[in-house]
Amino acid sequence: MAQATITFEDLKTDSEKKVKIVKIAGQLDESNVDDEAKKVYAQIEAGGTNLSLIFDFAGLEYMNSKSIGYLTDWYSKVSGSGGKVVIAQAKNNIIDILQVVGLTQLITTYPSIEEAKLAVM
Amino acid sequence: MADSNEKVPVKITIILPTNAYFLSGIRDFTLTMTKNMTGFSEQWAYRFQSVVDELCNNAIEHGSEKGQNVKITFISVPEESLEVVVEDSGTGPAKYTSAQMANLVKERVSMMHSQYLGLRGRGLPKIVAEWTDELLFEDIDGGGLRVRAKKYLRDKEDKVLSSTVQTPTHFQLTN
Repeated sequence: MAQATITFEDLKTDSEKKVKIVKIAGQLDESNVDDEAKKVYAQIEAGGTNLSLIFDFAGLEYMNSKSIGYLTDWYSKVSGSGGKVVIAQAKNNIIDILQVVGLTQLITTYPSIEEAKLAVM
Repeated sequence: MADSNEKVPVKITIILPTNAYFLSGIRDFTLTMTKNMTGFSEQWAYRFQSVVDELCNNAIEHGSEKGQNVKITFISVPEESLEVVVEDSGTGPAKYTSAQMANLVKERVSMMHSQYLGLRGRGLPKIVAEWTDELLFEDIDGGGLRVRAKKYLRDKEDKVLSSTVQTPTHFQLTN
Protein backbone atom coordinates (compact mmCIF):
# COMPACT_ATOMS: atom_id res chain seq x y z
CA MET A 1 0.00 0.00 0.00
CA ALA A 2 1.27 3.46 -0.84
CA GLN A 3 2.28 5.67 2.07
CA ALA A 4 1.36 9.34 2.29
CA THR A 5 1.45 11.94 5.03
CA ILE A 6 -0.29 15.30 5.19
CA THR A 7 0.66 17.94 7.76
CA PHE A 8 -0.62 21.48 8.22
CA GLU A 9 1.11 24.65 9.38
CA ASP A 10 -0.51 28.04 10.01
CA LEU A 11 1.50 31.04 8.83
CA LYS A 12 1.41 34.34 10.68
CA THR A 13 0.31 37.23 8.49
CA ASP A 14 0.13 40.98 9.01
CA SER A 15 -3.37 41.18 7.58
CA GLU A 16 -6.68 39.40 8.08
CA LYS A 17 -5.58 36.77 5.60
CA LYS A 18 -5.30 33.22 6.83
CA VAL A 19 -2.57 31.18 5.18
CA LYS A 20 -1.90 27.51 5.73
CA ILE A 21 0.89 25.35 4.39
CA VAL A 22 -0.32 21.87 3.43
CA LYS A 23 2.69 19.59 3.25
CA ILE A 24 2.03 16.35 1.35
CA ALA A 25 4.70 13.65 1.21
CA GLY A 26 4.82 10.14 -0.22
CA GLN A 27 2.50 8.72 -2.85
CA LEU A 28 -1.18 9.56 -3.31
CA ASP A 29 -3.01 6.78 -5.10
CA GLU A 30 -6.24 4.81 -5.04
CA SER A 31 -5.26 2.96 -1.87
CA ASN A 32 -5.02 6.06 0.34
CA VAL A 33 -6.24 9.23 -1.35
CA ASP A 34 -9.85 9.15 -0.12
CA ASP A 35 -8.76 8.99 3.53
CA GLU A 36 -6.02 11.60 3.14
CA ALA A 37 -8.34 13.99 1.28
CA LYS A 38 -10.72 14.14 4.25
CA LYS A 39 -7.98 15.83 6.30
CA VAL A 40 -7.69 18.65 3.77
CA TYR A 41 -11.46 19.10 3.49
CA ALA A 42 -11.64 19.39 7.31
CA GLN A 43 -9.03 22.17 7.30
CA ILE A 44 -10.82 24.04 4.49
CA GLU A 45 -14.16 23.83 6.32
CA ALA A 46 -12.61 24.96 9.61
CA GLY A 47 -10.73 27.80 7.88
CA GLY A 48 -13.81 29.62 6.62
CA THR A 49 -13.50 32.61 4.29
CA ASN A 50 -10.27 34.15 2.99
CA LEU A 51 -8.22 31.04 3.73
CA SER A 52 -5.32 30.52 1.34
CA LEU A 53 -3.44 27.27 0.93
CA ILE A 54 0.17 26.65 -0.09
CA PHE A 55 0.61 23.04 -1.10
CA ASP A 56 4.20 22.07 -0.36
CA PHE A 57 4.88 19.12 -2.67
CA ALA A 58 8.62 18.79 -1.94
CA GLY A 59 8.11 15.27 -0.61
CA LEU A 60 5.34 14.22 -2.99
CA GLU A 61 6.53 11.41 -5.24
CA TYR A 62 3.33 10.38 -7.05
CA MET A 63 -0.25 11.54 -7.52
CA ASN A 64 -2.94 9.78 -9.53
CA SER A 65 -5.87 11.26 -11.44
CA LYS A 66 -8.21 11.03 -8.45
CA SER A 67 -5.83 13.04 -6.25
CA ILE A 68 -5.66 15.64 -9.03
CA GLY A 69 -9.46 15.71 -8.94
CA TYR A 70 -9.37 16.42 -5.20
CA LEU A 71 -6.80 19.16 -5.72
CA THR A 72 -9.11 20.77 -8.29
CA ASP A 73 -12.03 20.58 -5.85
CA TRP A 74 -9.97 22.14 -3.05
CA TYR A 75 -9.05 24.95 -5.45
CA SER A 76 -12.74 25.53 -6.27
CA LYS A 77 -13.75 25.60 -2.61
CA VAL A 78 -10.92 27.86 -1.44
CA SER A 79 -11.11 30.31 -4.35
CA GLY A 80 -14.90 30.39 -3.98
CA SER A 81 -14.40 31.57 -0.40
CA GLY A 82 -12.03 34.37 -1.32
CA GLY A 83 -8.71 32.55 -0.85
CA LYS A 84 -5.85 31.51 -3.10
CA VAL A 85 -4.25 28.15 -3.81
CA VAL A 86 -0.67 27.73 -4.97
CA ILE A 87 1.80 24.86 -5.23
CA ALA A 88 5.44 24.96 -4.16
CA GLN A 89 8.50 22.76 -4.63
CA ALA A 90 6.84 20.12 -6.81
CA LYS A 91 9.11 17.57 -8.49
CA ASN A 92 9.30 17.50 -12.30
CA ASN A 93 7.09 14.41 -12.65
CA ILE A 94 4.38 16.05 -10.52
CA ILE A 95 4.49 19.28 -12.54
CA ASP A 96 4.38 17.17 -15.71
CA ILE A 97 1.16 15.40 -14.74
CA LEU A 98 -0.44 18.63 -13.51
CA GLN A 99 0.38 20.19 -16.87
CA VAL A 100 -1.06 17.35 -18.94
CA VAL A 101 -4.43 17.57 -17.17
CA GLY A 102 -4.42 21.37 -17.48
CA LEU A 103 -4.32 22.14 -13.75
CA THR A 104 -1.31 24.46 -14.02
CA GLN A 105 -3.63 26.84 -15.90
CA LEU A 106 -5.66 27.14 -12.67
CA ILE A 107 -3.06 26.75 -9.95
CA THR A 108 0.32 28.46 -10.16
CA THR A 109 3.39 26.44 -9.23
CA TYR A 110 6.44 28.02 -7.57
CA PRO A 111 9.91 26.52 -7.19
CA SER A 112 10.22 27.64 -3.55
CA ILE A 113 8.05 28.13 -0.48
CA GLU A 114 9.23 31.74 -0.17
CA GLU A 115 7.95 32.57 -3.66
CA ALA A 116 4.67 30.85 -2.89
CA LYS A 117 4.30 32.85 0.32
CA LEU A 118 4.87 36.10 -1.55
CA ALA A 119 2.09 35.14 -3.98
CA VAL A 120 -0.57 34.57 -1.33
CA MET A 121 0.39 36.93 1.56
CA MET B 1 16.46 -17.97 -40.05
CA ALA B 2 15.69 -14.74 -38.25
CA ASP B 3 17.46 -11.55 -39.22
CA SER B 4 20.15 -10.92 -36.60
CA ASN B 5 19.18 -7.22 -36.61
CA GLU B 6 15.53 -8.00 -35.85
CA LYS B 7 14.58 -6.73 -32.41
CA VAL B 8 13.01 -9.35 -30.19
CA PRO B 9 10.18 -7.99 -28.03
CA VAL B 10 10.52 -8.26 -24.28
CA LYS B 11 7.22 -9.53 -22.90
CA ILE B 12 6.43 -9.48 -19.19
CA THR B 13 3.09 -10.55 -17.75
CA ILE B 14 1.93 -9.85 -14.20
CA ILE B 15 -1.33 -11.07 -12.68
CA LEU B 16 -2.68 -9.04 -9.77
CA PRO B 17 -5.56 -9.56 -7.36
CA THR B 18 -8.20 -6.82 -7.66
CA ASN B 19 -6.88 -4.71 -4.82
CA ALA B 20 -5.43 -1.19 -5.04
CA TYR B 21 -2.94 -2.24 -2.35
CA PHE B 22 -0.71 -3.67 -5.09
CA LEU B 23 -0.65 -0.61 -7.36
CA SER B 24 2.44 0.95 -5.78
CA GLY B 25 4.43 -2.21 -6.56
CA ILE B 26 3.29 -2.14 -10.19
CA ARG B 27 4.27 1.53 -10.43
CA ASP B 28 7.75 0.82 -9.02
CA PHE B 29 8.20 -2.04 -11.49
CA THR B 30 7.00 0.08 -14.43
CA LEU B 31 9.36 2.93 -13.57
CA THR B 32 12.41 0.69 -13.19
CA MET B 33 11.63 -1.42 -16.25
CA THR B 34 10.98 1.59 -18.49
CA LYS B 35 14.14 3.36 -17.35
CA ASN B 36 16.40 0.34 -17.75
CA MET B 37 15.04 -1.79 -20.57
CA THR B 38 13.26 0.30 -23.17
CA GLY B 39 15.41 3.26 -24.20
CA PHE B 40 12.80 5.78 -23.06
CA SER B 41 13.94 8.80 -21.05
CA GLU B 42 13.31 9.20 -17.32
CA GLN B 43 10.48 11.66 -18.05
CA TRP B 44 8.71 9.03 -20.13
CA ALA B 45 9.35 6.40 -17.48
CA TYR B 46 7.38 8.55 -15.01
CA ARG B 47 4.68 9.16 -17.62
CA PHE B 48 4.33 5.47 -18.39
CA GLN B 49 4.13 4.79 -14.66
CA SER B 50 1.03 7.00 -14.54
CA VAL B 51 -0.46 5.39 -17.65
CA VAL B 52 -0.10 1.91 -16.14
CA ASP B 53 -1.45 3.03 -12.76
CA GLU B 54 -4.56 4.58 -14.33
CA LEU B 55 -5.28 1.54 -16.53
CA CYS B 56 -4.80 -0.92 -13.68
CA ASN B 57 -6.94 1.13 -11.35
CA ASN B 58 -9.75 1.27 -13.90
CA ALA B 59 -9.59 -2.51 -14.31
CA ILE B 60 -9.67 -3.01 -10.54
CA GLU B 61 -12.32 -0.40 -9.77
CA HIS B 62 -14.69 -0.87 -12.70
CA GLY B 63 -13.89 -4.08 -14.54
CA SER B 64 -13.34 -6.81 -11.98
CA GLU B 65 -15.06 -7.70 -8.74
CA LYS B 66 -13.18 -8.54 -5.55
CA GLY B 67 -11.48 -11.91 -5.58
CA GLN B 68 -10.82 -11.72 -9.33
CA ASN B 69 -7.57 -10.84 -11.08
CA VAL B 70 -6.36 -8.31 -13.59
CA LYS B 71 -3.65 -9.20 -16.08
CA ILE B 72 -1.00 -6.70 -17.08
CA THR B 73 1.37 -7.38 -19.98
CA PHE B 74 4.29 -5.17 -20.94
CA ILE B 75 5.62 -5.55 -24.46
CA SER B 76 8.81 -3.66 -25.13
CA VAL B 77 10.62 -3.52 -28.42
CA PRO B 78 13.82 -1.84 -27.23
CA GLU B 79 14.49 1.51 -28.89
CA GLU B 80 11.17 1.21 -30.77
CA SER B 81 8.06 1.01 -28.61
CA LEU B 82 6.52 0.15 -25.28
CA GLU B 83 3.02 -1.25 -24.96
CA VAL B 84 0.97 -2.11 -21.90
CA VAL B 85 -2.02 -4.41 -22.16
CA VAL B 86 -4.45 -4.56 -19.22
CA GLU B 87 -7.22 -7.13 -19.06
CA ASP B 88 -10.09 -7.22 -16.57
CA SER B 89 -12.46 -10.09 -15.88
CA GLY B 90 -15.64 -8.26 -16.88
CA THR B 91 -17.19 -8.98 -13.48
CA GLY B 92 -16.99 -5.44 -12.09
CA PRO B 93 -19.77 -2.92 -11.51
CA ALA B 94 -19.25 -1.05 -14.82
CA LYS B 95 -19.64 -3.37 -17.79
CA TYR B 96 -18.66 -1.60 -20.99
CA THR B 97 -18.00 -3.11 -24.39
CA SER B 98 -14.94 -2.05 -26.33
CA ALA B 99 -17.12 0.14 -28.57
CA GLN B 100 -18.73 1.83 -25.56
CA MET B 101 -15.31 2.48 -24.02
CA ALA B 102 -13.98 4.00 -27.23
CA ASN B 103 -17.01 6.33 -27.35
CA LEU B 104 -16.64 7.20 -23.68
CA VAL B 105 -13.03 8.26 -24.19
CA LYS B 106 -14.00 10.37 -27.24
CA GLU B 107 -16.73 12.11 -25.22
CA ARG B 108 -14.39 12.77 -22.32
CA VAL B 109 -11.61 14.07 -24.55
CA SER B 110 -14.00 16.65 -26.03
CA MET B 111 -15.34 17.45 -22.54
CA MET B 112 -11.79 18.20 -21.36
CA HIS B 113 -11.16 20.81 -24.06
CA SER B 114 -12.65 23.43 -21.76
CA GLN B 115 -11.46 23.88 -18.18
CA TYR B 116 -12.69 20.77 -16.38
CA LEU B 117 -13.30 21.04 -12.62
CA GLY B 118 -14.84 17.62 -11.92
CA LEU B 119 -13.48 15.17 -9.37
CA ARG B 120 -13.13 12.14 -11.65
CA GLY B 121 -12.63 11.30 -15.30
CA ARG B 122 -9.13 12.58 -16.19
CA GLY B 123 -7.30 9.24 -16.24
CA LEU B 124 -8.14 7.88 -19.68
CA PRO B 125 -8.71 11.05 -21.73
CA LYS B 126 -5.92 13.18 -20.31
CA ILE B 127 -3.20 10.93 -18.90
CA VAL B 128 -3.47 7.71 -20.92
CA ALA B 129 -4.61 9.21 -24.24
CA GLU B 130 -2.21 12.18 -24.12
CA TRP B 131 0.83 10.12 -23.20
CA THR B 132 0.40 7.23 -25.64
CA ASP B 133 0.21 7.02 -29.43
CA GLU B 134 -2.36 4.23 -29.65
CA LEU B 135 -5.22 3.44 -27.27
CA LEU B 136 -7.33 0.44 -28.26
CA PHE B 137 -10.16 -1.40 -26.54
CA GLU B 138 -10.95 -5.05 -27.30
CA ASP B 139 -13.66 -7.40 -26.04
CA ILE B 140 -12.29 -10.60 -24.52
CA ASP B 141 -14.02 -13.88 -25.44
CA GLY B 142 -15.95 -15.00 -22.38
CA GLY B 143 -16.22 -11.49 -20.95
CA GLY B 144 -13.94 -8.72 -19.90
CA LEU B 145 -12.15 -5.87 -21.57
CA ARG B 146 -8.62 -5.62 -22.91
CA VAL B 147 -7.02 -2.16 -23.13
CA ARG B 148 -3.88 -1.65 -25.22
CA ALA B 149 -1.86 1.53 -24.81
CA LYS B 150 1.27 1.92 -26.92
CA LYS B 151 3.95 4.57 -27.12
CA TYR B 152 6.50 4.71 -29.91
CA LEU B 153 10.03 5.88 -29.27
CA ARG B 154 10.45 8.27 -32.16
CA ASP B 155 11.71 11.62 -31.06
CA LYS B 156 15.22 12.35 -29.96
CA GLU B 157 13.94 14.02 -26.82
CA ASP B 158 12.11 10.85 -25.80
CA LYS B 159 15.27 8.78 -25.77
CA VAL B 160 17.96 8.12 -23.23
CA LEU B 161 21.08 9.70 -24.70
CA SER B 162 23.42 6.77 -24.12
CA SER B 163 21.11 3.83 -24.08
CA THR B 164 21.97 0.86 -21.88
CA VAL B 165 19.09 -1.35 -22.91
CA GLN B 166 19.55 -4.88 -21.65
CA THR B 167 19.39 -8.04 -23.72
CA PRO B 168 15.74 -8.97 -24.30
CA THR B 169 14.30 -11.81 -22.29
CA HIS B 170 10.83 -13.28 -21.97
CA PHE B 171 9.47 -14.32 -18.62
CA GLN B 172 6.14 -14.51 -16.88
CA LEU B 173 5.24 -13.61 -13.30
CA THR B 174 2.03 -14.92 -11.82
CA ASN B 175 0.72 -15.05 -8.27
